[in-house]
Amino acid sequence: MNDMTHKGLGLATQTAKISASGVQVHYGTNHALKDVDVTILDRTVTAFIGPSGCGKSTFLRCLNRMNDTVASCRVSGQILLEGEDIYDRRVDPVQLRAKVGMVFQKPNPFPKSIYDNVAYGPKIHGMTRNKAELDAIVEASLRKAALWGEVKDRLDATGTGLSGGQQQRLCIARAIATSPEVLLMDEPCSALDPIATAQVEELIDELRHQFSVVIVTHSMQQAARVSQKTAFFHLGNLVEFGETGDIFTNPKDPRTEAYITGRIG
Amino acid sequence: MSDSESHIVSSFDRDLEALQAHLLRMGGLVEAALVNAAKALEAQDLPAADSVIIGDKAVDALEEFIQTEAASLIARRAPTASDLRLVLAVMRAAHSLERVGDYAKNVAKRTRVIGRSAPVDGHAGTIRRMSVMVAKMLEDAQLALVRKDASLAAAVRARDVEIDQMYNTLFRSLFTYMMESAGSIGPSMHLHFIAKNIERAGDHATTIAEQAIYLATGSRPSEERVKGDSTSATA
Ligand SMILES: Nc1ncnc2c1ncn2[C@@H]1O[C@H](COP(=O)(O)OP(=O)(O)OP(=O)(O)O)[C@@H](O)[C@H]1O
Ligand SMILES: [Mg+2]
Repeated sequence: MNDMTHKGLGLATQTAKISASGVQVHYGTNHALKDVDVTILDRTVTAFIGPSGCGKSTFLRCLNRMNDTVASCRVSGQILLEGEDIYDRRVDPVQLRAKVGMVFQKPNPFPKSIYDNVAYGPKIHGMTRNKAELDAIVEASLRKAALWGEVKDRLDATGTGLSGGQQQRLCIARAIATSPEVLLMDEPCSALDPIATAQVEELIDELRHQFSVVIVTHSMQQAARVSQKTAFFHLGNLVEFGETGDIFTNPKDPRTEAYITGRIG
Repeated sequence: MSDSESHIVSSFDRDLEALQAHLLRMGGLVEAALVNAAKALEAQDLPAADSVIIGDKAVDALEEFIQTEAASLIARRAPTASDLRLVLAVMRAAHSLERVGDYAKNVAKRTRVIGRSAPVDGHAGTIRRMSVMVAKMLEDAQLALVRKDASLAAAVRARDVEIDQMYNTLFRSLFTYMMESAGSIGPSMHLHFIAKNIERAGDHATTIAEQAIYLATGSRPSEERVKGDSTSATA
């Protein structure tokens, strides 16, 4: 459950996982993010909301350097993961992405077996010494992703043969198999039915006992249900950031109010 | 403010406007019931008291209707921010108005049994004036709510002190009557409950004003309202 009713409970003891300050992003001449400061707390679900094109995905991709792969993209400012600058030259982006995992809008399992989809990350990061350890990680990840019961008898079947909701949970299992510290989710439920959506939301609530979760969503109700903190982006600016309960009952900025009540397109 | 702008989905605006219109309609019925009950007492007009009693059914039905509409709006529209606060404020205000309707009905019921007597002649005028003041407070509180006018709401809250003072004065006067003549105890007790009912109605006007402040500002008024009712210390 979210903390809308007892907001702030225990938050004082939560430490910053990611601290971003003065983050600017340009795609060529397009100034996509303007001077964003935000703190992502440990063991907290943070929702990013805002109109299409406001820069939510751009900011999310900054947090695990997925923007590195976009040639026209320039990122400046500072992003610290537990005090370490993730844009430091010594940081290996592949290692970083094991710590800061990502789940995308469209489920994108590899065209491989269910088992291999989940085992892929732990294998390339050399996290296990033998098959038994790898089996254990695969099972634990699938259990956490609430998929184990449905696939345990067909781990060799191909991942792309699952239903959309199952594929998305498989992608979540893949993302958490490397024991990330932060899980980034970009509209993870947009292709899912209400049941699968509820399962993913339940999972997010579970995951926040171990990870920080950052979720981009276009569903106000989903943001209100799953997150404890909400950030509202508008035209590349972080307009408002605060307790989810406050943002949805009493936003401070008129742009936030207009957006969440359905008054601007 | 952005919340005075229209929703992209215009039927959402129509739903919210309809909800407020029903509330104002209910408020009109309740204000009239309160004043009519006090006037019936003063004039000893029993048919008028009867119509207040019968009229309360319409008030109850409207309350039920508003609560159902509000619940349906929450389910269908999932309102947030000032929209959510508006729906919550209307629900609470409708509940307050329903209570005031019951108080008016109780005044009318007592009017039917009290009969003409010296304490009635001595107090019914003050009770009527008090009911008119409370009715005006109720009206202004609802206006403050639909206009999201925090300063009008604050003014309504402030006026409740006068009602409390009127009630205190009535209480002391009735107390004296009862001490002086045992024969006046029956009507004086009725008059006291009538005055108390109207004083409570004033508290509900204050509650609605507080909802208006919550709606307009997003937070509830902080400082404790000055309580003018000192009879609990007297009694
Ligand atoms: N790979 C890219 N190359 C060039 N411009 C991009 C790229 N990705 C995003 N942009 C631009 O950056 C701005 C922000 O886009 P972004 O995808 O971050 O928005 P968003 O808030 O995630 O929107 P949506 O809700 O539609 O997903 C937009 O103007 C977009 O055109
Ligand atoms: Mg996006």
